[in-house]
Amino acid sequence: MNIDQLSAARIAAGVAAGDFTATEVAKASLDAIEAREGGVQAFLQVSPELALDAAAKIDADRAAGKPLPPLAGVPLAIKDNMNLVGTRTTCASRMLEGYESVYTATCVERMLAAGCLPMGKANMDEFAFGSSTESSAFHRTNNPWDTERVPGGSSGGSAASVAAGEVALALGSDTGGSIRQPASLCGVVGMKPTYGAVSRYGVVAFGSSLDQVGPFGRSVEDVALAMNALVAAGHDPYDCTSQDCPVDFLEHLNDPIEGKRVGVIPAFMEAEGLTPEVRSAVESAAKKLEEQGAELVEVDLPHLDAAISAYYVIGPAEAFSNLARFDGIRYGYQEEGCANLNDQSSLSRAHGFGAEAKRRQLLGAYLLSSGVYDKYYYAAQKARTLITRDYDAAYEKVDTILMPSSPRTAFKFGELSDPTQMYLSDMYTISLNICGNGGISVPLGLGADSGLPVSAQLVGPAFKDRQLLTFARAIERGFADAATGAPALSVAPDFAGKGGEL
Amino acid sequence: MALSEKDVRGIAEYAKIALTEDELTEMTAYLNDAVQMLEPILQYDLPDVEPTFHPIGSLSNVMGDDALEPERDLALDVALSNAGSSRERYFRVPSILGEGSEE
Amino acid sequence: MKKLSEVLEDWEAVIGLEIHTELTALDTKMFCNCRLSHDDEPNANVCPVCLGLPGALPVPNKRAIESIVMAGLATNCEIQKHSMFYRKHYFYPDMAKNFQTTQGPVAFAMYGHLDLEVTGQGAAERPDCAFGAEQADSLASASAGAEGLSTSMTATMREGNQRAGHLASYDASNMQMPERRADGSYTVPIRILRIHMEEDAAKMVHVGGAEGRITAAAESLVDYNRCGTPLIELVTEPDLRTPEEARLFMEKLRQTFLTLGISDCSMEKGSMRCDGNVSLRRRGSTKLGTKTEMKNLNSFKSLHDALEYEICRQAEVLEEGGIIYQETRHWEPSRRRTVVMRVKETADDYRLFPDPDLAPFDLTDEFIEAARAQIPELPDAKRDRYMADFGLKSADAAQLAGDPAVAAFFEEAVAGVDAKAVATVGNVMVNLAPSYDALTPAQVASISALLAADAITFAQAREVLDLVNGTDKDPEKVVDEKGMRQVTDTGALEPIVDEVLGRCTDQVQQYRDGNKKVLGFLVGQCMKAAKGSGNPKLFNQLLAQKLG
Repeated sequence: MNIDQLSAARIAAGVAAGDFTATEVAKASLDAIEAREGGVQAFLQVSPELALDAAAKIDADRAAGKPLPPLAGVPLAIKDNMNLVGTRTTCASRMLEGYESVYTATCVERMLAAGCLPMGKANMDEFAFGSSTESSAFHRTNNPWDTERVPGGSSGGSAASVAAGEVALALGSDTGGSIRQPASLCGVVGMKPTYGAVSRYGVVAFGSSLDQVGPFGRSVEDVALAMNALVAAGHDPYDCTSQDCPVDFLEHLNDPIEGKRVGVIPAFMEAEGLTPEVRSAVESAAKKLEEQGAELVEVDLPHLDAAISAYYVIGPAEAFSNLARFDGIRYGYQEEGCANLNDQSSLSRAHGFGAEAKRRQLLGAYLLSSGVYDKYYYAAQKARTLITRDYDAAYEKVDTILMPSSPRTAFKFGELSDPTQMYLSDMYTISLNICGNGGISVPLGLGADSGLPVSAQLVGPAFKDRQLLTFARAIERGFADAATGAPALSVAPDFAGKGGEL
Repeated sequence: MALSEKDVRGIAEYAKIALTEDELTEMTAYLNDAVQMLEPILQYDLPDVEPTFHPIGSLSNVMGDDALEPERDLALDVALSNAGSSRERYFRVPSILGEGSEE
Repeated sequence: MKKLSEVLEDWEAVIGLEIHTELTALDTKMFCNCRLSHDDEPNANVCPVCLGLPGALPVPNKRAIESIVMAGLATNCEIQKHSMFYRKHYFYPDMAKNFQTTQGPVAFAMYGHLDLEVTGQGAAERPDCAFGAEQADSLASASAGAEGLSTSMTATMREGNQRAGHLASYDASNMQMPERRADGSYTVPIRILRIHMEEDAAKMVHVGGAEGRITAAAESLVDYNRCGTPLIELVTEPDLRTPEEARLFMEKLRQTFLTLGISDCSMEKGSMRCDGNVSLRRRGSTKLGTKTEMKNLNSFKSLHDALEYEICRQAEVLEEGGIIYQETRHWEPSRRRTVVMRVKETADDYRLFPDPDLAPFDLTDEFIEAARAQIPELPDAKRDRYMADFGLKSADAAQLAGDPAVAAFFEEAVAGVDAKAVATVGNVMVNLAPSYDALTPAQVASISALLAADAITFAQAREVLDLVNGTDKDPEKVVDEKGMRQVTDTGALEPIVDEVLGRCTDQVQQYRDGNKKVLGFLVGQCMKAAKGSGNPKLFNQLLAQKLG
């Protein structure tokens, strides 16, 4: 039996039943990582000691007859912008190359409390600025389905580690699509919950009003389990924006969708840049939902054009502010031999940050400057109001909206070199960060033209994330293997079965 | 109105990011492209629309108690552990008005 | 340089203050749960939030918000229900995040005032110049600048500019010159533009330079203990006209905050800090001059003296045809002068925007009323009560009411005496008690009763207090033990008076001829004859009666 054939649900059940120990799972996962990392390079740091310690504790608890938590023994990858004591938190930046976490992020703490084993820190675009993980200061991450292609980003390492079968679950963060787009490109399920559902405490901020943490898994059920773990403890007193959410993601997973209304946006399906294979796959997803009794309803989001520009006002403005603290004094890269403070700060920041991080900060500093701020920032926040209203109006008519996650399948390294072109990768995902609503990317299989994973995105009203999982499960079911009931995609074939014997 | 290299240099000085001449040229081009891309947003500055500062519209008055949480405090060695330069119990910075400084 | 009194004959000084007060009465910092440091070792009270570690998030301290609402109510401000925290960016190591979390155009408290009673020499300094419409305009823009917000921002930020709703009395064009009383004293309202909530910065130690100053320091060391301490900043309108008014304002504010119990208000320890800005204009002119900003005014004396120096310096520059530059100046108490710290060529651009990590505030009536309910009797009300109930003079009543510890002491002492000794308690509290550090209210009550009964003289009261200070001795017992009690029986004193009048016929004649001063001599003779045991006040009364 290979670890990569087991879902998170199956691993936790197996550990609880004594089919195998958490330590055996940890070792199998470490073995898979060992065998596969050369090809995928999903991790910036692997943390065997932490994983084995956590596993030993679960095994001891089981031996002592204590009840086990719901994700006991499930290997987890953690995006490297999340603090975990005992690991570095680098944000894939030279700036934080040696930064040792001195506290643990709430989302990580909650996954560990649910029994997950922290296998390591996953690669990402530097400070989450990007859609390909190419801006990592340390190395690229390869798409497990084609190692000459990007895994998407910014949570590329998280998505790739799950797609390559190194871990069963991963945590990512999504500021403009950074969970949903790499999930789509790597053929895994990735969810951005509603803003506020998951605590941001301890996650290095990019855009504070946009960032949201969410899980990756190879099945909707695994993602639902992870969502339960993330929200189980309720409001986090360390994050003013965190909200209490019901912990019922799992129990309604297989609810029928008969009679539910699914929105489609004709303009989205005609958008420039959307490839025919993605379009036809999403259309077939709509059919699958219809077959299960859902009604398709056309909806319109008239102000959606404003989303990208609103995002590139709000995102850089907040990023400039959030990254101001990296001055090389309390932590982070410090330029040596500077005669005065100004040189030290300016050179530490010049040499600690990569190109995209500098671009976003300078754009933000410009947009917040006197006179400019009034023009752009207010307009962006008003666009935010209009987009939120559009969605609210649409949800009067439908329960969810179906659309692509990414306009195309995984692209080659270096293919999108113009930063403003790269920004268009997020055309389908960004508006949700603007209005804060939840969204999930579900694999539909391999594209007819590229042979690479294609996915659909489902989006829903604020704090109705549970219902989103029900629809995602319906799509998964619709594309499942008729014989086995397995999801359309499992571990990428080039990596499946390499190491990881349990 | 396009941004000049001089404008961009001013922004970079403020943001404490030293730029080489090449970077300055490249950054100026980028910022002008990016600002161009943002132009469409200006049409949304409508008088009858309230700005949304926060994605959770109903969120207000979130406060915490005036209560100590000693377990959250960082021990001195931990607090200083990631600092590039420290002295005794302090974080250290080089001369603020030192050589070559403009201030 | 000319003296202040000479300068103010020709010039009107326009003064505004910015006063920062740390909420030292709280247990924890503004946005985290670290202990507020007082004399702790450097970097002893730090956590991920106040060190600005990556990923840390702020949570506002509820008690701090209650405190600023109390401060606003106590200074007659309007509490703004809706406001937000903003991020104010500047790169300096004393701010761990390189931005300070503060408030934007709308502060928790706005448009208030404190009334100043100005008497004596201080009152004589104020020039009688009227406010006009032009004045109102120029003050409005001066206020905008004082908020630390760029002018374009204040003009256009849509959160703010809710001035339409505020009181008409706040409008400078409605303001009148304070009316002077017969003795020249006057009461003047000093308007408070805003009190906003923010966080304090870290402390920096500059090493290697002279006097620990930043200039020429080889390196600086940063202690983040103070970083994140709740701080309220009060900005006045430029309504002050003399250094004395500035000093009085600061004193009154300190008394108010002390009474609220929100801060120890120690200027010495830096928990209350003051910056002042001042500009001059010719008397009668309504156009504002260029202002300079003074830092380091960290005692009442520094505040007064620095403004006095700066007014005289500006007058000298202007009278010699020079120009005042908008600059920040540092007060050097040892050299009694201000020196330039930096010249402000352009307005600072702090890139303010609403902090997305913090929820907006929509304070409820319940919250505001709960804060109001916690406000104890304030100094002005207390002063008025002391005047009405105890017959104290205004100045004495104000002095006692100003310091909550003194007021509580006074009230306890008053409770221990008969009605006829009440005013004497006030007298003792104002004129005797301040010289002693360890008296009890019971001792003050006792000494006041003795004085009120004319059992001892004022000089004897001092003697007694010297003996009882720091002990639990009862002054009355000490007086009896020492046989200090004065003869207050007029029957026993009358023969002495008659005897003195009988032999000092010359002096009696002089008195009758109109030389009233000679009474002192006669009292002295009586005292001598009584060998010190007669009460001089009674002798005085008896002599006056008999000389009729």
